[in-house]
Amino acid sequence: MREKQKMTVGKQRAAGDYIKIKMILFGTLAAGVILTAVFAPYLVPYDPYEQDLGNALLPPGGAHLLGTDRYGRDMLSRVIMGSRTTVFAALLLVAVITVIGSAAGILCGYHGGKLDAFLMRVSDIFLAFPGMVFAIAVASVMSGGILNAVIALACISWPKYARIARSQVLSIRNMPYMAAAKLSGSGTFKMICRHVVPNIAGPVIVTAVLDIGTMMMEIAGLSFLGLGAAPPTAEWGSMMSNGRSMLQTSPWVILAPGTAIFLTVVIFNLVGDTVRDLLDPRQKGR
Amino acid sequence: MKRRNLWKTVRVPLLAAAMAAGILSGCGKDPAPAPDGKEAEGEKVFYYGDTTFNAENDESDVNPHNGYSGWACIRYGIGETLFKYSDAMEAEPWLATEYTNVDETTWEITLRDGVTFTSGRALDAQAVRECLDHLTEVHERAAGDLKIQEITADGQKLTIRTEVPVPALINYLAEPYGCIIDMEAGITDDGNVTGTGPYRATVVETDKGLTLVKNENYWGGMPHLDRIYVQTISDGDTMTMAMQSGELDGAYGLPYASLPLFESAPYTISSCETSRSFFGAMNYETEALQDANVRRAIAGAIDKEGFTRVLMNGNGSPAVGPFPASFAYGDDTVTAQLFDPEASRALLAEAGWTDTDGDGYVDRNGQKLTLRWLTYPSRQELPLLAESAQATMKEIGIDLQVNCTANHLDFIDSGDWDIYASAFVTAPTGDPEFFFTTHCLDASSKNRGNYHSDELEALEEQMNRTFDAEERAELATRMTQVLLNDNSFVFASHLRMSIVSGEGVTGLVAHPCDYYEITADLDKN
Repeated sequence: MREKQKMTVGKQRAAGDYIKIKMILFGTLAAGVILTAVFAPYLVPYDPYEQDLGNALLPPGGAHLLGTDRYGRDMLSRVIMGSRTTVFAALLLVAVITVIGSAAGILCGYHGGKLDAFLMRVSDIFLAFPGMVFAIAVASVMSGGILNAVIALACISWPKYARIARSQVLSIRNMPYMAAAKLSGSGTFKMICRHVVPNIAGPVIVTAVLDIGTMMMEIAGLSFLGLGAAPPTAEWGSMMSNGRSMLQTSPWVILAPGTAIFLTVVIFNLVGDTVRDLLDPRQKGR
Repeated sequence: MKRRNLWKTVRVPLLAAAMAAGILSGCGKDPAPAPDGKEAEGEKVFYYGDTTFNAENDESDVNPHNGYSGWACIRYGIGETLFKYSDAMEAEPWLATEYTNVDETTWEITLRDGVTFTSGRALDAQAVRECLDHLTEVHERAAGDLKIQEITADGQKLTIRTEVPVPALINYLAEPYGCIIDMEAGITDDGNVTGTGPYRATVVETDKGLTLVKNENYWGGMPHLDRIYVQTISDGDTMTMAMQSGELDGAYGLPYASLPLFESAPYTISSCETSRSFFGAMNYETEALQDANVRRAIAGAIDKEGFTRVLMNGNGSPAVGPFPASFAYGDDTVTAQLFDPEASRALLAEAGWTDTDGDGYVDRNGQKLTLRWLTYPSRQELPLLAESAQATMKEIGIDLQVNCTANHLDFIDSGDWDIYASAFVTAPTGDPEFFFTTHCLDASSKNRGNYHSDELEALEEQMNRTFDAEERAELATRMTQVLLNDNSFVFASHLRMSIVSGEGVTGLVAHPCDYYEITADLDKN
C-alpha cells in the first residue's frame, strides 16, 4: 500500500517535471514569436513595403530567401513584419475580451439580481449568432481596418468569458472564506480584487491562452476576406488573399504567410494546453 | 453479446471508410452539369464560363433594351446589330447591307434580305422600326445617343431622321443596345428576347447563366454547336479550376495570374487590345489639385510601364491618352507627362511642397500632402494600380491613402476623394466623341472631378458638327492633348483581353470591341 502510494507520487512528480519542460519549451517558442514581432523592424532584411517591379515574383533562394511577391517586395521581410500585425492584434483582442468579459461576468456573479439577468440575456443574444458570420457583418458595417476587425471579433467573443467568470464567481460566492472576508469588513471593491479575482483567474487565463491561436486565425480570416488589414499593410491573412490567384504559378507567395500562420497558431495552442495542465490539474489528460 | 462486440469493432473503420468514400467522391470529375437535364446522344454541347453576366454589371438578362444587357445579347450570339465593328473598330454592314447619309439628319439604311428572327418572322424595315422605337422609348442612354426624331419603314428600306445632326449614328447603331429583336414576339418576364443570331436562349437565369440552342434557320449558315451552357462564375480562381478540370470549354475573364497555365496545349488563348482603359480623374474641388504643377507631378509619378508589364502580366499596353495606338486618334498622336519621379519632386517643390520635417512626405504651411485615391475591386487591375501608385507616390513624397471599395459611387457623391481610378471602355462605338461627352465636359454625366476647359468645350462644339471621319480623328487628337496638357486625367493602361479555349475548340476569338464572343464559327471537336 505504501509502496503504491510512493509510486504514484513519483509518477506525479515526473509528470510535473514533464509539464514544466513543455512549458519552458513552448514558452520559449512563443516568446520567440512575440520578440520577433516586437523587433520586426530591426530584423527585416529589406523594407517590406518597398516595391521593385523589376524583381517581381522571384522564386525563393538567392537574395530573397522566401522569394518576392507580385510587387517585388521581399516575402521574408513581409512575413516578419506581418507577425506584428497578426500577433499584436490577437494579443490585444484576447486581452480586451478577457478583461471586459471577466469584468461583466464578475459583476453578474457577485451582484446577481436584475443586472445579472440583463447582462446574461445580452450575452445570450450574442451567443445566439454564429460567431464568424456575425464578425463579418460587424466588420463590413464598420468597413475594413485591422482595428475594426479586432472590435468586431471582440463584440462576439466577450460573452464566453463573462459566462466562465460568472460561473466561477457563483461557485465561490458562498465559500466560508468569502463570508469571513465580508465579516472582517471588506468592501465590494476589495472583495472582488482580493478574494474573487485571484480565485477565478485560473480557468479564465487558461481559456484566454487557448484562445490566442483561435483569435489569430479569425483575424487572419477576416483579413483574407478583405475586412481586416488593408493593403499595403503586411498581414498574413491579407497576404494569402492577395496571393490566392498565384497559388499554381507562384506558390511561395501564399505558402510563406500560410506556414507562418500555421506555426504560430500551433505554438500558441501548445502553450495554451500546457498552461491548462499547469493551472488546472483537474483537466489534465482530457 | 458477441454480435455487439463485433459491431463495436467494425463500426469505427466502417464509419471512416464511409467518410473517406464521401470525401473522395467529391474529388472525382463530375460529368459537366446540364442545367435542364436533357442532353441527347451525339449532341455537340459547349460549356462557356463568363465573369460578367450578372446584375452587378447591369447585365441581368439578354434584353438589349435593359441597361447593359445588350452586351449579353450580342456576346452570346442571340442578337445582332445593323452594323458591326471591324477589327479596326470601323462600322461595317451586318444586318444592314448599306447606308446613305442623305443630309445631316437623314439616313437611309438598306436591310439584308433573307434574315429571319428565331420566331420565324422575316426581318424587314417595319420590324427594325418597332424595335428601335421601343429602344428609344425605354432606354435613356440609347435615346440620348441616337436622338431619333422619326423612323419610316418601306420594305427593306429604313429611313431614320434625327433631331439634330448625329455624325456617329451608324456607330451608335452598332452598340449592343442596337441588337434587333422581334417586338411582336416580345420580351419575356425573365428578360428573354427573339433575335436573329446563330443561337437562341431557352433559359435565362440572372447571376447564374444561360442555356442556348442553335438557330437552325440562321442566315449566315448552320451553327456548329447544338447547345451552349453559359455559366456565370464571378470568382476568377474558381473559373481557372473549372477550366483546368475540363468543366468548361471556354472562359472569358480569367485572372492574369492564371493565363500562364493555359499557354500550352491543349489550351489556346486568343488575345486582343481593347479600348478599355484604366485611368485616374483628378478632383478639381481639392485645393492641392487645383495647382497644375501638382497634377503634373502626380501624372509623372505613375509607373505605367511597370504596372502593365508586371502587375498586369503584360496583358495590356501602357497608355498615353484614352485611346490605344490602334485607333487613328490613338496614343501615337498625343504626348503625356512621362514617368519621372525626379521631375515630379521638382514640380512639387516648385509648387511649394517640400519635406521640411523629414518624415518622407512633402508639406506646405505645416500641412502634409495627403491624397485620397478612390477605386473599386470588381476590376481586378484597379486594386493593383492603387497599390502601385501608393508606392510610387510615396517616392515623391505624397501620402496616398487608398480607398478600394464596392461603394465607390457613394464616395463620389459625397466628394470624399481626390483621385478616382476606374476602368472604362473609352471608344465602345469606335468613335472618339463618346469619351469626351461622357467624362470631360461641363455637361458630362461622369465628369466626376468637375473639370472644365474652355478650349475643350470649343473643340467639342466643332466635333458635334463634323461628319468626316478624318476630321473627327484630328479633333479627337487635339481634345486628348488638351486633357493631357491639363493633367486632369491620368491614363495608366489599356487592357488586352483574353479568351481561353479548351481542347478541340475553334472559332472563339477575342475582338477589340469586346462584343462578339459566341458566333456561328464556334465549334468543338
